[in-house]
Amino acid sequence: MDNNARPLRIALTKGRLEKDTVALLEKLGYDCSAVHDKGRKLILPVGDSIEVVLAKAADVITYVENGVCDMGVVGKDTIMEMNGKFFELSDLGFGKCRFALAGKKGEDFYEGTHIRTIATKYPNVARGFFEKKNMDVDIVKIEGSVELAPLLGLSHAIVDIVETGTTLKENGLEVYEYICPISARLIANMVSLKLRKGEIEGLISEIEKVL
Amino acid sequence: MKRYDLITPEGTRDLLFEECAAVRAVEERLQGIFKSKGYSEVITPGLEFYDVFDQKSRYFPQETMYKLCDNKGRLMVVRPDSTMPIARMAATRLQGQQLPIRLCYSQSIYRNKPVMRGRSDEFRQTGIELIGSGSARAELEILSNALEVLGSFETGGYRLELGHIGFFKSLVAKLGCGADKIESIRSLIEVKNYPALNDLLDDMGNNEVTRALKQLPRLFGGEEIFEAAAALDPGEDGMAALGELRGTYARLISMGYEGKITVDLGLVNRMDYYTGTVIKGYIEGCGDAVLSGGRYDGLLGEFGMELPAAGFAVNIDAVARTEMKTRSFRPGAADVIVFGEDGFEAAAAVYCKELISKGYKAEYAVCDSVDEAKKYAAAKGIVRLDIFSGNGVEELTVSC
Repeated sequence: MDNNARPLRIALTKGRLEKDTVALLEKLGYDCSAVHDKGRKLILPVGDSIEVVLAKAADVITYVENGVCDMGVVGKDTIMEMNGKFFELSDLGFGKCRFALAGKKGEDFYEGTHIRTIATKYPNVARGFFEKKNMDVDIVKIEGSVELAPLLGLSHAIVDIVETGTTLKENGLEVYEYICPISARLIANMVSLKLRKGEIEGLISEIEKVL
Repeated sequence: MKRYDLITPEGTRDLLFEECAAVRAVEERLQGIFKSKGYSEVITPGLEFYDVFDQKSRYFPQETMYKLCDNKGRLMVVRPDSTMPIARMAATRLQGQQLPIRLCYSQSIYRNKPVMRGRSDEFRQTGIELIGSGSARAELEILSNALEVLGSFETGGYRLELGHIGFFKSLVAKLGCGADKIESIRSLIEVKNYPALNDLLDDMGNNEVTRALKQLPRLFGGEEIFEAAAALDPGEDGMAALGELRGTYARLISMGYEGKITVDLGLVNRMDYYTGTVIKGYIEGCGDAVLSGGRYDGLLGEFGMELPAAGFAVNIDAVARTEMKTRSFRPGAADVIVFGEDGFEAAAAVYCKELISKGYKAEYAVCDSVDEAKKYAAAKGIVRLDIFSGNGVEELTVSC
């Protein structure tokens, strides 16, 4: 199942981070043609020394944590929500956005003594944020467009990723407070980094040169 | 009402045949190594009072422990670790013993882990503790045992990684900041989170110490690390830690472990529990460390007996799973099955015992007829069927 002859396996978050990472690898001179013509394949060779695995963000962490992938590219948002045991080696600088607390325009979120209900796709991030403020809140997990929740009266506010703020604006919402910046991160399995130090450090220093 | 009587709780599992054999094989191998070196086995209770794990040097976050109450309403936990109960036991039960005390153990550990992430809540740990010596010889004893253990695993390559918590402690002491800040720095170094560590340290000014701390997670590799670390000017204590580690490293190399040991000065986990050298062992094919340990000179003091101590534990389940990828642990079929005709049941049982005493692996057939016994033997892959009757023993060959 495992041997050192196998290429370095990197899990990429499908979608935009995948495209940005592939562009980065191409800049470094890796042949990514297999990724461009992937069809329905999920494990793809990149040059001779790398193998790319395409997965959903949270799964990237799970694969890396369990050591079936040596490295991964995943957003800081997913890392904050999932936590886990892995090394976070590099800020790749793309996939930039921010976590924010947002709600209906013009309302004062902090006014009054009632318990607030927060809708979010990131319950752990939301809980952590309000714990730091010593605020008890009810958290409702939403899977799709979180912006709907305050509009429909399910929640007082949302905790979500904000990139340009256009969706918020078009729906009469505004950012109350920014929580933290987010970008794509390069993570590594704790054992892989030790057993394949040369390969992984080599790749990271190549990447850091072009960032 | 939904009943949960046909499944096991999340994070636990039944171990059948091959898996069970693999776990026992690894366990027995390690026990053999430890006992041949004078370690005596101990067993601590599966339940302990919560307070045992709520010491000053608290390493166990309470959410990771399974808790319950005894009949007096006192909080108890299901054993989340072996070292702390053994420290408690040694401090209270082993006073006045000739030092050092060599203990080994093999028992299950229970930790409440995030669900469905591919990790177990229950796993078996086998390990040793050497209590009452803080010398370089004790260090060598523990580390060479760890290397021998890793070398005994029938997997691909292995690596033992050494660190020293004293190097980090000496650097942060120069920083002069609060415990919370130190903990943030420690946890970022532990997970080698370079970007966040840089951000945090940038806020604390650009000086020798912050520059050195930024380098710390990158200080892993071979012997070259000692030079690089010394260049960071870690202060007197830091240099002492480095010197100690370098001495140990050189001794292990002289024992022939070249290429098997590495250094990581960013190995700073559980700093309050460990006080000196820390170790982690890795094997190919397993995504997590399978061995971890170190020196914990302060722990016994928390239970009222000031003694230095060091040890390590091996995650038996992880090793067994990895060994199973490359070799078979399938238990073999019996050599013989003995069937007694009606009226000769007892005589057949005596004959079966005789075969066993001669070294055969023999089953006593509990079937009602020879035909049934044949069918059973064929299904189980037992090639020889001995039938005991008034005519004595008839030996049949079963085609499986």
